[in-house]
Amino acid sequence: MAGEPRSPLVAFEAKDLGHGDSVVLSRLTLTLCPGERVALLGPSGAGKSTLLGALRRRLGDSAAWCPQQHGLVPQLAVYHNVYMGRLAEHSALANLWNLVHPLAGPWREVADLCDALGLDGLMRRPVAQLSGGQRQRVAIARALYQQRALFLGDEPVASVDPHQALRLLALIDHRHATSVIALHQRELALSHFDRVWGLRDGRLVIDAPAGELSLADLDGLYPDADTDADGRTGDAASRDRP
Amino acid sequence: MTQAHPRPQEARPGWLAGQSAGVRLARHSLTLVALAVVLLPFADLAILTRDPWAELGRMARGLAWPAWGALETPLEALGLTVAVALWGTLGGIVLGFPLALLFPRSRLIRAGCAFARAIHELFWALLFLQVFGLSAATALMALAIPYAGIFAKVYAEILEQIPGAPRDALPSGIGRLSRFVYSELPLAWTRLAAYTRYRFECALRASVLLGFVGLPTLGFQLETAFREGRYHEAGALLWLFYLLIASLPWWGHRRLLPLLALGSAMLLGPWPALEGGLLWRFVSQDIWPPALLEGDWQGLIAWLARIPDLGPAIGNTLLLGLLGSVGALIVALVLWPLACRHFGNPATRLAGRGLLVFLRSTPELMLAFFFLLLLGPSLLPAWLALALHNGALIAFLVARHADAIRPGMPELGASGRLAYELLPRLYPGILALLYYRAEVILRETAILGMLGVATLGYYIDANFEYLLFDVAFFLLLVTAALNIAVDALSRRLRPGESAIIEDPCQR
Repeated sequence: MAGEPRSPLVAFEAKDLGHGDSVVLSRLTLTLCPGERVALLGPSGAGKSTLLGALRRRLGDSAAWCPQQHGLVPQLAVYHNVYMGRLAEHSALANLWNLVHPLAGPWREVADLCDALGLDGLMRRPVAQLSGGQRQRVAIARALYQQRALFLGDEPVASVDPHQALRLLALIDHRHATSVIALHQRELALSHFDRVWGLRDGRLVIDAPAGELSLADLDGLYPDADTDADGRTGDAASRDRP
Repeated sequence: MTQAHPRPQEARPGWLAGQSAGVRLARHSLTLVALAVVLLPFADLAILTRDPWAELGRMARGLAWPAWGALETPLEALGLTVAVALWGTLGGIVLGFPLALLFPRSRLIRAGCAFARAIHELFWALLFLQVFGLSAATALMALAIPYAGIFAKVYAEILEQIPGAPRDALPSGIGRLSRFVYSELPLAWTRLAAYTRYRFECALRASVLLGFVGLPTLGFQLETAFREGRYHEAGALLWLFYLLIASLPWWGHRRLLPLLALGSAMLLGPWPALEGGLLWRFVSQDIWPPALLEGDWQGLIAWLARIPDLGPAIGNTLLLGLLGSVGALIVALVLWPLACRHFGNPATRLAGRGLLVFLRSTPELMLAFFFLLLLGPSLLPAWLALALHNGALIAFLVARHADAIRPGMPELGASGRLAYELLPRLYPGILALLYYRAEVILRETAILGMLGVATLGYYIDANFEYLLFDVAFFLLLVTAALNIAVDALSRRLRPGESAIIEDPCQR
């Protein structure tokens, strides 16, 4: 598994990951190399979000982040939600003014992005009025707008149809050399990614090039509804902070 | 297969026994009622006027046939009432919003806000009256200071409850202000605006009340007319006030507010000639016991000994608070079905809603004043006023909440629907609202003292009148401490957060 010529972006060596005191992923060992496109698979509660959170902390400002619950502000327009990806690059005064009257440069850039994502004509619409699929695309637009070298996505294509999922993944690939994307479409993971990480019960059970895996290998991650339910309760418990 | 012999039947629970939420809350409420009944003999509930019914008849005739022509400059008083309410609320926002941002982090600010809240608007007015006289400054500060404390607390609570996901999704390195206006303020905006709107309605009532201490708002003419028995004129003024409250959605529209604020600013006045020396003397000397300023501890003890016995006044204040709260609970339980879509017919609902709007828009001091003229000075008029006003306010919110409930078994009769479908869902919320109101009720018991009811407020008012500012200020501090203690107690007793009826107007 080792022997990569380039130096890895992130390397975990027998590392415990979790929230506070509770460990979700124990003794995790993996490396992420530049230029890799990784699909992250596993039943819900297996620790996908925990792993992505840890990667996000490690990678800091070099990674664009597209969270599972989208993290959008429903009261603000699509334009403002996308603009939020680059809030840090403007002064507080410019950001305030932008709420009153959109800045010309960002408006053009966001408009181009929205065209590419099929959100044209919706820029002034509050996110609260959009459908689930549209919101997901707004969240992706915000991540793309950050213009980072890496893309970290927690199920960014969960609520769109397969055809559109392909298009969105292609767009993400086009703009980012490296990406780690949590998915639950196993076929997409094999057809569209270089590498697959498979999590089950808080352990990394698959870490292999996509070309060496079959659908049957991936099926092993989702044995039956029983484990899934267990995973869910585990996840809920870890979220119940005191 | 394993059930070889039938299990013994589960024992039938006794009266109000068990641990279900409903039974627990019923026991809780009955304890409260029992406590009120046990303490009732200690309250002075005598009816002191000889012929209350004749007086009531005259008042009713006054309300039925208002003498519009007899009013002197009602529009001016009306304009000033709105101007004071609007600018007082704006002042409260300007002071309270920055405090809300610091509220979770600073114990000092939380304590300061609790103190500002614990003293009623009218007492703040009495205090500022000594420095700024009968001026707009007194009126505005009397509203802005307690409202700053209230806004700080409520805004902070609202901001604390917004979802954290949008904030967590942002990239790092964003300034505090940008983060706030993009990922926090928009999420809280609707609730902030709704609460501010409700507070403005309270400010209108408070602005009317400022007339009772002599400021020329609507309340000044109202009090004079009532006191002199000119009930037809008082009726006209009351109708004017109800029209003002009822038409609030039209003239208080979001788009009109800037215009209204600028226009009404012209009406504010008169402005006091500010004398720095006088203000400083008042703050640094007049309100403190002379012995304390001289560091004379013996003298301070002698000063304390000269203060009349506060036991009965504190007892009356607390007793009236308890009786008022229990009364409000009973009034709310009786009145809410009248205004709710699940009961009666359109005509009864309209009448019920009208009654609730009437009772909750009449300032409680006004109601107390009305009962006082009717029944004479005892705790009774104050109790009736507190129970009716606050009960109607709770009933109004509960009815609106009940309207949103879709019963699982709509074919049940009225009593079944009340007892099995609605009350179990609503009662925890009713009790939570009551405990929120308990603090407000206690604050109001104190101001009812200004009408001659023997609560702490009576002594505060009297000492201000005798220009004994040090004693008056000391009594204000005692009142504030009492309110803060009762607030802490009611927060401990009230049902959990989940029970609370989600409404900005709950406090």
